[in-house]
Amino acid sequence: MSHAARSTRIGEPVRRREDHRLITGAGRFSDDVTLPGQAYAVMLRSPHAHARIRAIDSRNALALPGVIAVLTGADLRSDGLKPIPYNPFTLHPADIRMSNSDGSPPFVAPCYSMAVDRARYVGEIVAVVIAQTTPIAKDAAEAVDVDYEVLPAVTRTVAAAQPDAPRLWDDASSNVCLDADVGAKDATAAAFARAAHVVKIETWIQRVTGVPMEPRAAVGEYDAATQRYTLHAGSGGAVRLKTDLAKILGVPAKNVRVLMDDVGGNFGTRGMIYPEFALVPWAARRAGRPVKWTCERHESFLSDFQGRDLAVTAELALDAQGTFLALRGSNIGNSGGHPGSFTPLQKGVEIMSSLYRMPAAHFRARSVVSNTAPTRPYRSSGRPEVMYVMERLIDLAASEFGFDRVELRRRNLLKQGELPYTNPFGMIYDSGDYHDAMEKALKLGDWAGFPARRTEARRRGRRRGIGIANYVDTATGAPRERAEITVHPDGRVDLVIGTISNGQGHETSFAQLVNEWLGVPIDNVRLITGDTDIVKVGGGTHSGRSMRMGSVVIWNSAREIIAKGTRIAARLLESDPSTLRFENGRFRVEGADRSASLFEVAAAAAQLGDLPEDLRGPLAAFSDETFNIASFPYGCHVCEVEIDPELGTLEIARYSAVDDVGRAVNPMIIHGQVHGGIAQGVGQALMEQCYYDPGTGQLLTASFMDYSMPRADNFPFFSTEITEVPCTTHPLGMRPAGEGGTTPALGVFINAVVDALADYGVRHVEMPATPERIWRAIRDARAAPPAGRAR
Amino acid sequence: MATVSLTVNGQRVSAEVEGRTLLVQLLREHLRLTGTHVGCDTSQCGCCTVHLDGKGVKSCTVLAASCEGATVTTIEGLAPEGKLHPMQEAFREHHALQCGFCTPGMIMSAVDMVRRKGNDLDEHTVREQLEGNLCRCTGYHNIVKAIQAGAAAMKRKA
Amino acid sequence: MYDFDYHRPGSLDEAAAMIAGKDDVKLLAGGMSLIPALKLRLARYSDLVDLGAIDALKGIRREGNTLVIGAMTPHAEVAASAEVARAIPALAALAGGIGDPLVRNRGTIGGSIANADPAADYPAGVLGLGATIVTSRREIAADDFFLGLFETALKPGEIITAVRFPVPQAAAYCKHPQPASRFALAGVFVAKMAGGVRVAVTGAGPSVLRFEQAEAALAKKFDPSALEGITLAPDDLNSDIHASAEYRASCVVVMARRAVQRASEARAR
Repeated sequence: MSHAARSTRIGEPVRRREDHRLITGAGRFSDDVTLPGQAYAVMLRSPHAHARIRAIDSRNALALPGVIAVLTGADLRSDGLKPIPYNPFTLHPADIRMSNSDGSPPFVAPCYSMAVDRARYVGEIVAVVIAQTTPIAKDAAEAVDVDYEVLPAVTRTVAAAQPDAPRLWDDASSNVCLDADVGAKDATAAAFARAAHVVKIETWIQRVTGVPMEPRAAVGEYDAATQRYTLHAGSGGAVRLKTDLAKILGVPAKNVRVLMDDVGGNFGTRGMIYPEFALVPWAARRAGRPVKWTCERHESFLSDFQGRDLAVTAELALDAQGTFLALRGSNIGNSGGHPGSFTPLQKGVEIMSSLYRMPAAHFRARSVVSNTAPTRPYRSSGRPEVMYVMERLIDLAASEFGFDRVELRRRNLLKQGELPYTNPFGMIYDSGDYHDAMEKALKLGDWAGFPARRTEARRRGRRRGIGIANYVDTATGAPRERAEITVHPDGRVDLVIGTISNGQGHETSFAQLVNEWLGVPIDNVRLITGDTDIVKVGGGTHSGRSMRMGSVVIWNSAREIIAKGTRIAARLLESDPSTLRFENGRFRVEGADRSASLFEVAAAAAQLGDLPEDLRGPLAAFSDETFNIASFPYGCHVCEVEIDPELGTLEIARYSAVDDVGRAVNPMIIHGQVHGGIAQGVGQALMEQCYYDPGTGQLLTASFMDYSMPRADNFPFFSTEITEVPCTTHPLGMRPAGEGGTTPALGVFINAVVDALADYGVRHVEMPATPERIWRAIRDARAAPPAGRAR
Repeated sequence: MATVSLTVNGQRVSAEVEGRTLLVQLLREHLRLTGTHVGCDTSQCGCCTVHLDGKGVKSCTVLAASCEGATVTTIEGLAPEGKLHPMQEAFREHHALQCGFCTPGMIMSAVDMVRRKGNDLDEHTVREQLEGNLCRCTGYHNIVKAIQAGAAAMKRKA
Repeated sequence: MYDFDYHRPGSLDEAAAMIAGKDDVKLLAGGMSLIPALKLRLARYSDLVDLGAIDALKGIRREGNTLVIGAMTPHAEVAASAEVARAIPALAALAGGIGDPLVRNRGTIGGSIANADPAADYPAGVLGLGATIVTSRREIAADDFFLGLFETALKPGEIITAVRFPVPQAAAYCKHPQPASRFALAGVFVAKMAGGVRVAVTGAGPSVLRFEQAEAALAKKFDPSALEGITLAPDDLNSDIHASAEYRASCVVVMARRAVQRASEARAR
């Protein structure tokens, strides 16, 4: 197929430019970086969930041939390394503020890159072993003698919040780091008092992990002459990693350079700095040579930032007709052994009421520490959890009080004319057509034709169920982004931007923007994102911010290029600037047959000696913007499952998704994002869980032998549809598209599972809906007295 | 240490390896063929898939020393220099990759699937036969489409 | 991985000589279980003796009413073999469902049964068909071979050379996989032999086991309905994060019934 003839402007499914290197094996991932003379690091990790480190004896390890050094927490402290600079709250002004309801400050423990006094989860780093080869370093790690005093541990979220739970930090009054009240307590209580119906759910959105297919790796260098550290490591953004690394190392930011090329997936797990990314460059300085560390998959399971883990109790009040009156409850987030992020808690609770008209709401929101790996924002941080709760409440209300599930949603879903709408937590939904998305999803999923499919499945001994879920996403994230465009006379354009692709295809979609606005062929656009000596500002990829913010700063830069270029072209073409128009990459004199290309103008800028000061030199422009408004992508998914009741096994028969992106830059990439997002959301609902043994705190799912990863045969082909209702708060009408696939997937999937089992009288199935859980739900419902079933 | 000699992507190569050196280490570290990736340590993810004497294998679970005299093809050698294999073409055309880390293994596994199952692959077969390759980005949707299309294209080109 | 010396003998005698009298030596077949275990440093040996170059250990042949599969024959070859499909299609299907296609290209029948993973597929086929394990020294009946968790009747220095399967009248294997590893959570091999019915269960207990109550019922009537009311006591079954013993027990019965159904259908064709 020839791509040359196709348009490569905004809205086109342009095939990706980055693919050629990736399909030929020429990609460059972190572990592909090898430096001359490099040594190898192995992290010695705590085998205990909670233990005081009494002493570390490295003598036997150091005696082995090829061992260069063993670094411990004591070395880290004596070298003056600083704690990891955690910012537990989101950086975006549009997110709600949370503080302790008793007025005390939230507890934010100082966490170092290595355990200095205690290990607080299995897998926390206790020592760094550096040797000439990885196998030698592993031998040496086995020879390090750590004297642990094992302490009682707590892993489960609700248990960790109890006053008598084993305490992770002695100087905190409990494991609860944050205990906030959000919403209006009295108004909510009043609404509940007059409700005709109240429905309740108690549930746990279990701990999962991101599993980007590329395990983390890092190569550190230190140049003694310039006192400069260089880190080669894939992450969600180079600038933030550099800034945090400089803080930990205690050096000015200019003394740190971060480099990265291809990054093999992120999903939030690579958003914040990892301890190893500080330890490796430090180790390089100590060893006097580059040091490389490559994470093995079992280590990833132990030490990658994990996601979700929210315990919820929630109640929905309705009037007799089914109109929602109020929502209340409690959310407890588990931030693990390093309390570094309240973001999922914060970003979830602020949209707890979803897209529904909700006069009042009140929630208690708590964050606890526990003896588990730290949690961080994971794909659509915090939102899939609360959308699941809201959509389960609606289905429960429908079945318990005799409403039709779809009608109940139609009745309460906000109408386009009601927007902008301020939800009961203060978030302002700007624009969208929520009803249209839902009606389209019902059609795409052939809701009307479902009863026939259920009957047909029943004849085969299968139980078929259908579910629906609406969703809204809050896209905020690091608010500042910067782009810089330089037009080179030889026909190339450099685009420097502070966000980075971890697989989202920026080399293609950002180039489409440049093609749209500057008329430059996409193959002539060079995207520069992974070198902090060039990229100075930028927030990285998370919270649907890359295209949302990137498009604006690229657009601003392009407009400035055109404005500057117009003035230069006017000189070149001896015309008045007002008579020039820029189209298809050329400045044309209106009404005359004279024109100059963008690149001729760039050449002129470099050559014409008598240009005004601000036009001389390279034709370049930058835009540095801070985005203070949140964006609210939305949509509706419909899912259909078929259950084998004898085994409790399940097949996803159909999955249909309608997602509004405001304006699609590359629909092919967006559909791909939705597909992957669905798989990640359904993966959680169906099979995934980081299972910590509650007694010992051991992670029992530390390999693909035990952590259930979705595979190709777990899914059908998805039906995905993009709608484009322009976003009124975005200059180009765009909404993010990367997280919508995941956000409603938990809820819609469980709604479908419960619907399939409704005839047995099953009321709810917790996640993950494993075969045994489903089998038990059926068995227990069958055993329940008829009165219980009538619910 | 022992010397192992084999043919990789059509070139005769020899390397000094330990007993414990894995084929994937020989490829990545000794020969610097870094297109073959390591995504797990329990032989499940398939990122390291290569062809050993014409059959798809997980190179992280094969000892380099056992490859004496063998013929190995990696993603770098799947197509002649400057050309794309029909399966590579299909992966790009169908947007079957996002981060691209699992992709070399997916493509090598897909070509092996065609060897075993032929060029006319239905959806069910592709999904079932892809059991040994994990992807976290794509939800497999476009990978399945690409393999079906790539398999058919291999027949046309054959 | 801890380092070891690697050997690749060209004959069975050579291999036998290499391992004779050494207890720190391990035989390497396809390596699909052994190499991952070594990588995770769960095992350590001074020497590995690779059987991959011994051609006499490979191949599939029919000898009268017996199917003989060489110990180093990979799963993919068994799955694709016309000889196996004619004699024991259930065994071809079992081999075609082990691990994934890439694992099947390397993994071997000898390696699988010598490893005796409690959730592996081949032990169910070997025990279910009442096969004979042929070694460098003797022949061992399947009923005497699997002794427990990763434990077999093999003596130090003994090498499996082949497995001899009697051809059944009807047989089938049904597996309910553990969702992460895809090993059997409950796998049941049912075989109707000239001398009676055998039902072998893998994945549910500490080792492959025979489901005698089901065998007795099916001997009377080889039909799924014969298993009506038959249960398996969960007392000695595995319980872990993937499934309780109780659930496994239930799955075994369902798998047994489905295997009988499949075997009956195959026979009717």
